[in-house]
Amino acid sequence: MKISTRGRYGLRLLVDIAEHGMEGPIALSIVAQRQKLSEKYLQQVALLLTRSNFLISVKGSGGGYLLSRSPDQILIYDVLDVLEGNIAFEEVPQGEESAIERSIRLHFYQKLDQEVKKVFEGLTLAEVTKAEWFTYVI
Amino acid sequence: MKLSTKGRYSLQTLVYLATCRENCSIRSISEATGISSGYLEQLMIPLRKAELVEAERGVQGGYRLARPDITCHEVLSASEGDFEPAPCKGCERTDACKTHQIWALLQSAVVDFSKQVTIADLASHLVESEAGGGI
Repeated sequence: MKISTRGRYGLRLLVDIAEHGMEGPIALSIVAQRQKLSEKYLQQVALLLTRSNFLISVKGSGGGYLLSRSPDQILIYDVLDVLEGNIAFEEVPQGEESAIERSIRLHFYQKLDQEVKKVFEGLTLAEVTKAEWFTYVI
Repeated sequence: MKLSTKGRYSLQTLVYLATCRENCSIRSISEATGISSGYLEQLMIPLRKAELVEAERGVQGGYRLARPDITCHEVLSASEGDFEPAPCKGCERTDACKTHQIWALLQSAVVDFSKQVTIADLASHLVESEAGGGI
């Protein structure tokens, strides 16, 4: 199991924009410098996050990206689900499912997904960007 | 976020072994799970190394679970190599990186839960739901 590069970069992009978005639209070149990430790659991730309505793209000079809504309205779970395609372990059975596959799906993957959901329940981008988040979550 | 085929197939293989009273040949595992014999041989290498399955040679030979309390976490750690959602290990930004905490949360949710579920649990559900039906 691995979170993809897209998942990791995308989240860092959102956190960066949440932290600096007060200053107006943020150019990806600035984020790339600040986060030491490839600008090319950030462009792809930004496109996905714009299409899925987490970011707004502002064209023109002084343009860049803004959060589409306040960071306390953006759920981390939803972001991960978009970035990863689908964050669930459970897969819809393709064709006939054996008894073994069904048991693993119902009693492991499905419950694992519930655990992950529980952990992220209500966690917003606003909380993650707060420096003190770490100390009270863990 | 997906488990690899290797991880998924290894879980299936071990659940099947948990239902067997005797050693299982690769062929019988293959027939029961639909996983090819060649692939099963490959899956068994890390599982044996991690001492989750034992192999016996000879006429009565085959594979069996090494012990009854094997957890899903042990299987996935062995078969997936490592079981870390984000490769944050060795990253020098870890202290300053806020997203690192999210991956840590995700990691502990997945690891903690998969340590609670045993292969025997999954096999027992199988017997309940498939009573009389065999596998």
